[in-house]
Amino acid sequence: MNKVITINLGGNAYPLEEGGYDALRAYLETAAAQLHGNPDRDEILSDIEGAIGEKFRALLASHKTVVETREVNAVLAEMGPIEADPGKTADPAAGVAGASGKSSRTGAAGAEPATGHGGPPRRLYRIHEGAMIAGVCNGIAAHMNIDPTLVRLAFVLLTIFWGTGLLVYVVMAIVVPEARSPEEKAAASGDPSTAQEFIRRAKAGYYEAMKGFPDRKARREWKRRFKREMRANADQWRYNWHSYWTEHAPLHPGMGFTLPVLSMLHGAATVLWICALISLLATGTVLGLALPANVPTWVAALLLFIAYGIIAGPLKVARRACYWGSGRPGWTWPVVFLLDALVWLAVAAALLWLGVHFFPELRDAVHSIPALVHQAANDVQTWWNEKK
Amino acid sequence: MSVNEKFSAIRKGLLEFLVLQIIAAEKVYVADILKQLSATQFATQEGTLYPLLSKMRREGLLDYEWKESEAGPPRKYYELTPKGREQLRETLEYWGEINGTVKKLGQK
Repeated sequence: MNKVITINLGGNAYPLEEGGYDALRAYLETAAAQLHGNPDRDEILSDIEGAIGEKFRALLASHKTVVETREVNAVLAEMGPIEADPGKTADPAAGVAGASGKSSRTGAAGAEPATGHGGPPRRLYRIHEGAMIAGVCNGIAAHMNIDPTLVRLAFVLLTIFWGTGLLVYVVMAIVVPEARSPEEKAAASGDPSTAQEFIRRAKAGYYEAMKGFPDRKARREWKRRFKREMRANADQWRYNWHSYWTEHAPLHPGMGFTLPVLSMLHGAATVLWICALISLLATGTVLGLALPANVPTWVAALLLFIAYGIIAGPLKVARRACYWGSGRPGWTWPVVFLLDALVWLAVAAALLWLGVHFFPELRDAVHSIPALVHQAANDVQTWWNEKK
Repeated sequence: MSVNEKFSAIRKGLLEFLVLQIIAAEKVYVADILKQLSATQFATQEGTLYPLLSKMRREGLLDYEWKESEAGPPRKYYELTPKGREQLRETLEYWGEINGTVKKLGQK
């Protein structure tokens, strides 16, 4: 009678006889020692483990559930000893190659998990853990390896400015599958499903060297350099943008006059858009114009968003051109901004006042807002109560 | 010392060349490479091949992609990069020269 030890190779469990376990452990420890200093050590080890796992799998059947010591030894003999770095001794330039390999190693180590090399194929899933609504943003963030907050922000901005964010979200919430099994969750973020295995190994002290990773300093340096480059890029971009507009701005110094006019137009467009939207939602008409019979309200709302984008887009760009065209950043800037903001507010308020006074539909719409909000709140409350 | 032993260093050095040639023909995974080599003088084992493949990938000669297998976990399928093809072409040329030299020298 032999004791059986279950091990995890490449995400699958294999029961081994105790003697076989000891042999395998010794083999992997020797392999790890042989590969000491090899930049791909972890990857090679996980490849080796995967290969051993596949050989074990071939040995097992429904009536044979344990890998015997004899079989483990045979598999290990078939694998052969780990050759540290083939070509290292034969290559007279090994010293040089080794040095350059080392310097590029920090970059590779940092970038690998992001590019998804070295891991199983990555898929897009919705992730429920830590989700706000349906986990769409969470899933995208895990897929692209960025902060979910950034993705959410992007969606919110898309919704506000073009109205598409909401649509995309709803479609994705329906179309994209949810990550349920551990494998799917692993595939969602591109982590190998053997992640637990790596943790186990680290705990068992398999990778002593990982703790004193000689490139910790170099890794930090790489991170710092990356940040610096990003910052330099942002500065460069800002500078280019600025010099472009000071050179190509369609209208020159008399911006003090043009800017308020543009602002007025922009403000008018915004107010018109808001009014149209309100009247659409409240009365089902766009500023008194009835919709064609077969157009649902949400399509009309979407069209309004798009129309606003088309009209307001160039105005926004032109206003920005005026800012940049009004000379180098200096004491005049705050004044220009303040003036502009005041003009914008004044125009918006005036138009709103005019609209409410001269268009009865709009007045009705504005007056019905509190009732609408109240009704919506009531609906949500009943829904919530029913749910409970 | 047998001929077999004497030339073990040469075989080792040539292994990379042969692996390039195997991968150039089609996308393969490690078991395919081992199988193709097993019938030749260059029969080798995983313990040698995995470190060699990862070194070659680091040198930009080849790349891999994960593919699902019908049974078991996904496998790495290797393929040559343009740099790998270039290296194979150069090595083939050089190999031809060496062959010529071996045949020519010592003949009157």
